Amino acid sequence: MIGLVIIVILITLGMLFMAIFALKEDPQKKIFTRKGLAYSTVSAGMKMNIECNDEVGKVYPQLGKDILDQCAQDYQDPLCIKYNCEGKHCCQVFNETMSKMLNSTLGGWGKSFEFSARLVQGKGSIPVGLSEIKSKDGCQGKERDSSGLFPIQAGSAGLVESVLYICD
Amino acid sequence: MTINKKGQMQMTETIAVLFIFFVLLLFGIIFYYKYQQVAVKEKQEELLAARAMDTTLKMLFLPELMCTKREAEPEDNCIDVLKMRQAKATFRKYMSDYYFGIFSYARIRVVDLVDKQELVLYDKEKTKVLDNGTMVGDWEKLEKTYFVVTLRDEIKGQGEARYDLGYIEVGVYS
Repeated sequence: MIGLVIIVILITLGMLFMAIFALKEDPQKKIFTRKGLAYSTVSAGMKMNIECNDEVGKVYPQLGKDILDQCAQDYQDPLCIKYNCEGKHCCQVFNETMSKMLNSTLGGWGKSFEFSARLVQGKGSIPVGLSEIKSKDGCQGKERDSSGLFPIQAGSAGLVESVLYICD
Repeated sequence: MTINKKGQMQMTETIAVLFIFFVLLLFGIIFYYKYQQVAVKEKQEELLAARAMDTTLKMLFLPELMCTKREAEPEDNCIDVLKMRQAKATFRKYMSDYYFGIFSYARIRVVDLVDKQELVLYDKEKTKVLDNGTMVGDWEKLEKTYFVVTLRDEIKGQGEARYDLGYIEVGVYS
């Protein structure tokens, strides 16, 4: 009888372990999809042209290379309007366009995200936040994946590091 | 009499333990069956998602669509609009003898978010023929994967390439 009791205990333990291991599988594909999507989103966002009305007519600066670069160089200047996009400050143009772009793509597909761009001026200096865009619920406490750092050299101002996090 | 009673008690105990043992075994079998049902379904979904991902990657690096500069140096996450317009006809023409081997049963759509236009580049649906001769879709699920891309247009930019924002939607039929 003791033998039977031992068998019962062993079977119960076996079932318990099986259940624990079965529920601990890693969804590798999901992680890869999130990473790929995050990378492609930042890459495309930085490269895209936006339409602005200049004194000479319409101009099409790139969001990363032109607008963010200008924002990093002149973020303290209230007249940062090299590309004169509806008379708005260049940092505001960047933030509004990026926010619209992220919400129309990732937001539309039900993904939560957090985007940030910061200016690193030199060794030991505190980075300056240029942009902070979050979806409604953000990624606080959720499993997330990053696009990796997207560095842009902004003339003598320093290095702009942009990063996007996506979570489900 | 005492020996008989003791024997009866032991028998009852053995039966009770055996009963519990079989009940637990039954629970185990039911649990395993249910788990297998879910696991198979999950595995199927995972395989479908993997196929969607593979198809998306093949699509992103397809020379028929990819942006290139200088000596055919590829550009990341970019689709050449001029190539894309021609590619639709090419995909259709060589669907069964070439592109089906690459994309299988899938639907590939490119959406331009600036011009609010979309183009279905490839659509090969799983179908079956009913007794009355009508052809109907023979798939349960369309697993979609999205990738944000830039759409490069050499004509729009008047001498300089213009990059618009868009996305690729790759759906695979199960």
